Amino acid sequence: MNPSAAVRDQRVLGEFSLKGMLYGSTIRSPIDRGKVLSVKAPPMPRGYRLILSQDIPGKNRIQSFGTQIPIFADAAVSYKGEAIGLVVGADPALADELAAGVLVECEEEEPFLQWESFASSQVLAKRIARQGDPEKAFATAARIDKGSYRNGSIEHFYSEPMGAAAWWDYDKMAVLCGTQWPYHVRDSVAIALGCDPADISVRPARLGLHLDGKLWYPSLVACQAAVAASVCGVPVKILYTRKEDFLYSPKRARSQIGIRSALDSAGKLKALDIRIVVNVGAYGPLAEEILNQTMLAATGIYACPNVHIEGYAVATNTLPLGALGGLGASHSYFAIEVHLNKVAQALQEDPSDWKAANLLRKGMSLFGSSPVVEEAPYDRIVRRLEALSDYRRKYASYELVRKRDSGKSDSLIRGITLAMAGQGGVFFLCGEGSNSYSLEATLGKDLELELRTSAAVEGEELADLWRLTASEILGLSPEKILIAPADTDRAPNAGPITMSRGVTVVNRLVERCCKAIQKKRFREALPITARSVMRVSSHLRWTDDGLSGTPFESTAWGGAVVEAEIDPRNGNVRPLGVWLVVDGGKTLQKERTLASLRSGTADALGICVSEAFDPQSEGADSYFRYSPLPLSSLPAIHVELLDPDGRAQARGVTELPFDLIPAAFTGAVAQAAGGEPDSLPLNAADILRLLGGK
Amino acid sequence: MILGLNVNGESVQVSIRSVDRLVDVLRGRLGLSSLAADCRSGNCGRCLAFMDGRLVYTCMVPAFRAKDAQIVTLEGFAKTEKYDDIVAGFTAAGLTTCGFCLSGKILAAADLLERDPMPSPETVLHQMDAVRCRCSDPDTISAGVIAAAKVRAARLYHRVGK
Repeated sequence: MNPSAAVRDQRVLGEFSLKGMLYGSTIRSPIDRGKVLSVKAPPMPRGYRLILSQDIPGKNRIQSFGTQIPIFADAAVSYKGEAIGLVVGADPALADELAAGVLVECEEEEPFLQWESFASSQVLAKRIARQGDPEKAFATAARIDKGSYRNGSIEHFYSEPMGAAAWWDYDKMAVLCGTQWPYHVRDSVAIALGCDPADISVRPARLGLHLDGKLWYPSLVACQAAVAASVCGVPVKILYTRKEDFLYSPKRARSQIGIRSALDSAGKLKALDIRIVVNVGAYGPLAEEILNQTMLAATGIYACPNVHIEGYAVATNTLPLGALGGLGASHSYFAIEVHLNKVAQALQEDPSDWKAANLLRKGMSLFGSSPVVEEAPYDRIVRRLEALSDYRRKYASYELVRKRDSGKSDSLIRGITLAMAGQGGVFFLCGEGSNSYSLEATLGKDLELELRTSAAVEGEELADLWRLTASEILGLSPEKILIAPADTDRAPNAGPITMSRGVTVVNRLVERCCKAIQKKRFREALPITARSVMRVSSHLRWTDDGLSGTPFESTAWGGAVVEAEIDPRNGNVRPLGVWLVVDGGKTLQKERTLASLRSGTADALGICVSEAFDPQSEGADSYFRYSPLPLSSLPAIHVELLDPDGRAQARGVTELPFDLIPAAFTGAVAQAAGGEPDSLPLNAADILRLLGGK
Repeated sequence: MILGLNVNGESVQVSIRSVDRLVDVLRGRLGLSSLAADCRSGNCGRCLAFMDGRLVYTCMVPAFRAKDAQIVTLEGFAKTEKYDDIVAGFTAAGLTTCGFCLSGKILAAADLLERDPMPSPETVLHQMDAVRCRCSDPDTISAGVIAAAKVRAARLYHRVGK
């Protein structure tokens, strides 16, 4: 911990200032969809200036995973709040006032706000996966169940709101912004300014917690700041207020997943028919990737001989919606786990037993992919969860109480459920230069090791892991290992830092570089430099009706039990306890991993009971009501790692709470209430409706 | 109007408008960057400071209310032994933060330890609700504050023993 970090730090965007710096205030679209007819600004005081799309010297777009997004909307606007221009000036308050006074005249068009049923023009990506003969399986099924499950939008609640600063540093345009992907910022700014990427120097600001929300949007704000700095010839900073960030920065995508399942006469899963619709908002910059990941997790960790899955990523005229705590798998795990819990309960079986009998085993195939090389350690995880939570006894007794006392008393009622998931690791399925990583290390004459990688944006926790790895190999004390700032001038490209890549990929590069240095050490004169590059091909292709190739290089597995209590008099629901068991391979920083899983669990519980953002109706006042769950309202969270000292390679685990907790919580509420909740968060009115519907 | 107040032991006078919030004066005029005017709604805890010994959200305090007040921010608090106790406790418990909420967490912990020298984990979590940030988990935060309480008790006991 570095307490001095709390005091002025020029790598914190909020603290950053330069002499003569101007501040940018964004002019935003007043409508959901339409044509921009004119932009009329009030007279600007001296030193204040309006920046519009025509001021962009290069191309008015940034590119993200094949999608193009305008830096400033010019002819058309696609969502309310979309940036149209900036007012820049020395006083941020006056710039805000002037920007609010800019009149944007538009010709409004009917916006696309529907997404559960949608027009073909809204479809940004479509996937179909097929296996076996689902139609025949449904026609001969002994039992068919169906359900529809919804995931809502969530606010990231970043440590620092979105923003960027840009200024001329001699012959280079320097950019400071908090980003998960510094090289994406560099390339985007180069396109916007019409110059060579080598003329742009990105200096990542302290990132803080991002939950995958700072993959591409910081590049957009950086382009706006860079254009303004280029036009004005002085430094320009844009830093959203918390309210502005809440209302206009991207949120988690919404989804609706319809599942129809068929069982044979022995109660075994025979067929699944799944329809996925993901609402990715305007432009849908992560549409393909989110849909891919949602499709891959659609059947959970279960085997099913006959499958039909149809997935759509759909654009709407709301702010862009994308990643939060993973890129899409959590949507599917919620749906399939809740659905299968429901099926098992209808069969009067303990869901954990029923799921064990339907597990995807080694050698089986996931709709056309290569055979699965590693199956979930289901039995080991469930055994630990049972021992920690007393799951089996509680499940049986709550079932008994529910059947005996259903609706008869006003006493508190409880439920408990188990959910299982896997976090596929390492690469993006869409590629686009996002699957290449590099790192450089130099052992200097003073026996100090310097590690250089753009992955250093992630901060001290990850840096400590790399220090630990390097010190083990080179026998240096961790204080002698320096992590260079992730500036694009100095640090080689390590792609976007997401999906726990800092642990899985970059740490492996540290290992390789240090081993290479160790080989040369005592043979060659210092300094010795080693560079390691890894290009991972996903080896995965979508065909007309499924997959070919291997879905993931490695998978971390996890299981969660959530126990919840309902007060039938007022519908209040309270999580009583959470137990999480995770198999993430060899874990060097056990305490930090456990802490990270606990804080992820706390966030996931927020999704269950309180956090919801409606991109169509959120207003300025809703900002005051939105907040992560208070610490004091959290139940006891018990987390355990399976075999953290083992030999299995380290895997990313941080998304697992988002995959597991919502499903387990919903299952617990379903058992207690005897109803079928299908969306989150669950508030008192929802619970009373469930109880009333029994 | 001219506002006179004492900030971190130093008497200052600043010119304010009636609409100014205390956080804007402390950060904007006096350059105390440990505070941030983040949510401006008394929610996030990034603007916490002591005002006449009470922990307050300075974004919710009109600047004129601070007339003649004694204000202590992290910059001033960092010069005390109490600060060292808290940092030692946080470090011993392995508490890492995103950095943006650290000032609020330290001051919230200091406020609690003044009132309750040996707090329970539940009391700690209630107190730390004052700072809303996704970066830390409840177990490590309560372990950090309780460890700080022990460091503080050891220091005070050691002093009495002398």
